[in-house]
Amino acid sequence: MDLNTTGLVAALATFLGIWLGHVAVRKIEYLSPTVWVPALVALCLGLVFEASALLSEDLNLSAALGIFGFTLLWDALEFWRQERRVIKGHAPANPDNPRHARLMATGAPVTAIDWLKRDPQGRPLTSKELQAIQEGTG
Amino acid sequence: MNTFGLFLGIATLLIIGLGFVWVIKGEYYLGYLWWPYIMGLGILIVFGSLFITSYWGSALMGAFGASLVWGSTELKEQAVRAEIGWYPFNPKPKPKPPLYKWIKKIPAPHL
Repeated sequence: MDLNTTGLVAALATFLGIWLGHVAVRKIEYLSPTVWVPALVALCLGLVFEASALLSEDLNLSAALGIFGFTLLWDALEFWRQERRVIKGHAPANPDNPRHARLMATGAPVTAIDWLKRDPQGRPLTSKELQAIQEGTG
Repeated sequence: MNTFGLFLGIATLLIIGLGFVWVIKGEYYLGYLWWPYIMGLGILIVFGSLFITSYWGSALMGAFGASLVWGSTELKEQAVRAEIGWYPFNPKPKPKPPLYKWIKKIPAPHL
């Protein structure tokens, strides 16, 4: 019997699109002095992928381009969402990034600490533990 | 013009969006230690998509299966978010998954 590889192609495009976007958005937002430049690049790339998906006669290629393209379009928005996380102190700020340095100077809860780099304890953290993390000793 | 990829891309975006919701709910009610089962289910769904003759059916199954695999790697971080207080922490004890003791010994994946 013939196997239908369209699902497998869609799965790979979805997984790689999310993974790459997840890692790249965090890394680039951390380093980039602007948000709009990488966002514009992701937007343009996404549109190019969608145009190519429309022009592709091959169903599997069209599927891969279409899915990957939409993850890129989502990444464009994610650059701003990532900056919001930095402003809230939920994602680590980069003191060497002038944009982040400005945010840190405003006295907002902006921090270079990565809160999520720990294992779950199975219970809510105590205020003492939270304070220790904030002070960089936890 | 082949609109398959474009519309599939939109559908996939919705499937990924659903992931944001089920990861939060799944961690709240089940806990992150269920990750191997979610991951296994995702892989099974992707495998099953090979046997679906419909292109749309196969593609949607593939995208959904992949989003389950991805989400399974997000559960651990979500558990930390809840423990920090960024998300509600479920005070009720979480159901232990089968093979709980073994799963606890494997580091939960995070990409």
